[in-house]
Amino acid sequence: MSPGMKILIADDEPLARSRLQSLLEDLNDWQVIGEAANGRQVLELVQQHQPDVVLLDIRMPGMDGMEAAEHLNKLPNPPAIIFTTAYDQYALQAFKSHAVDYLLKPIKQQQLEQALQAATQLTRAQLQSLAQMQQEQDTPPLHISARVQGGVRLVPINEVLYFLAEHKYVTVCYQDGEVLIEEPLKSLEQKFADQFIRIHRNALVARQFITGLRKDNEGRVFIQLRQGDHQLEVSRRHLPQVRELLRSLSAAGD
Amino acid sequence: MPATPEPSRPSSPEPEQDNLFLPDFCGIRMVFLVVVIAELAAIVIALAPMETPLTERWAHLGLISLFVQWAALSSCALLCLLRRQLCRLRPWQAGIASYLLILLVIALVSEGAYWLVHYPGGMSALWHAKFVARNLLIGLIIAGPLLRYFYVQHQWRRQVRAESEARLQALQSRIRPHFLFNSMNTIVSLIQHNPQQAEEAVENLADLFRASLSDARQRVTLDDELALCRRYLQIEKLRLGERLDVHWQVDALPGDAQLPALLIQPLIENAIYHGIEPRTDGGTIEISGELVDNQLQITIDNPIPDNPARPHSRGNQLAHENIRDRLSAGFAGPTRLALDQMDHHYKVCLSFPYEPWHENSDR
Repeated sequence: MSPGMKILIADDEPLARSRLQSLLEDLNDWQVIGEAANGRQVLELVQQHQPDVVLLDIRMPGMDGMEAAEHLNKLPNPPAIIFTTAYDQYALQAFKSHAVDYLLKPIKQQQLEQALQAATQLTRAQLQSLAQMQQEQDTPPLHISARVQGGVRLVPINEVLYFLAEHKYVTVCYQDGEVLIEEPLKSLEQKFADQFIRIHRNALVARQFITGLRKDNEGRVFIQLRQGDHQLEVSRRHLPQVRELLRSLSAAGD
Repeated sequence: MPATPEPSRPSSPEPEQDNLFLPDFCGIRMVFLVVVIAELAAIVIALAPMETPLTERWAHLGLISLFVQWAALSSCALLCLLRRQLCRLRPWQAGIASYLLILLVIALVSEGAYWLVHYPGGMSALWHAKFVARNLLIGLIIAGPLLRYFYVQHQWRRQVRAESEARLQALQSRIRPHFLFNSMNTIVSLIQHNPQQAEEAVENLADLFRASLSDARQRVTLDDELALCRRYLQIEKLRLGERLDVHWQVDALPGDAQLPALLIQPLIENAIYHGIEPRTDGGTIEISGELVDNQLQITIDNPIPDNPARPHSRGNQLAHENIRDRLSAGFAGPTRLALDQMDHHYKVCLSFPYEPWHENSDR
């Protein structure tokens, strides 16, 4: 990499960040353009400053490093990512088997320098395997990221009302608006099986927002949500599951 | 004599991993072993009859070896090919199946040998039946103990593996690698800019690990245990900064109460790991206690992350089970560990009888 590369440090612990700062001060050619304490800040700062490399801690609150990496890679020009971790045996196994860059804390200066010089962007295959690993660990991502003009918009998953598949895209309807994503409904369904229920071939609805069912004159059944006025039809095939869910919800409410 | 796994074989790349008690018969070492055992059996059979002259015995041995090797290697090949099918059976089923398989091979080979050697002249039907029956009996006697031996060896190896895994887990639960490496990282960061704090952190860490590595049955006073908790929290405070806040309300507790060492500290560690760390803006841990009817009641309350998607981890439950076990083992009177999850809080309540400390109250 050429001199004057820009680095973003991401770690939730202030002391860990200052340690990286001081290590980088001793190395020439590197310029720290910012510090982030969680995944969301990483995304904001990356879009603001366009760093070349992100030193990304895995365990961070709110949005962890794995998830941040996944969203970062949707940017038009994603930065190179080097994960850092004190101890995470599952992640390390995945990194080793997919040749993902990582550094173990406490980070040694020489290793940091080597990693920075070799830093490359994550490939799609690497990201996929990381995403899969996260699923196996029972921690679904907390956000949906959508490519919007000039960057990525994040939508917290617990604000999403429903996903609606239309043609090539999936519309994500959330409390403050709508975005389009390219991820197929099927993969969303798998990822968020605990939070969303399929009500139609083309629709997944957040369980937490469902309040009831409504029938129109022609006998079609629509779902009622706690917010907004949405016309979401429940297909005959999925009606039993939805009824079951409503029963369990009302049972839990009693 | 462990069977060497052969990585190139696609059917079961890691024979050690499947649950079948039989060794990997496709491995070259196992095939060699089978040849040796078969040859030894052949020698025994050739040696047995007393009335045959020595010269004839050599000729006999050749014929018997040919026969036995033929049966042994065919069984070996069959067991190799059928391994995947055998894996699906229960151990006793797989044992019987492989036993029958070997006997079937012996019967077939006997038939083959009979037709090959005696066909033109022909022997009586009785001789034929005797021949096959005798071979089957020999096979029965040799294969039975052999299979039994494989089974016992497999069980033994499994037990050794389970024991070493259990030992490792016990060690890890004491050392807690996550905490250790994070603390090391904190200390490294402090050394340059704040050597004083770094020194304190090392001292605290040393105390914590001394306690962790001491005999698990050791008893301490409540004062000691709480001091250890404070040392632990000092380290975490360095790491988490203003995200961590702790409120203590333990003045009502008798400091000389005795309890098993490290009964409370792991609960606080859990509160940080599952409650404070995953929260972007941290939170407050409340540690309170009172003495009611000669029972100590200690409560640890922490906020939990807002996101409901994250399920409660299994590691946490394991830790609680461990504490519960040690509680009930450590006191003669009633003990209790109650877990309570409210809206955005998680509460652990520990209750055990008040037993004042005596200098020689080792039990």
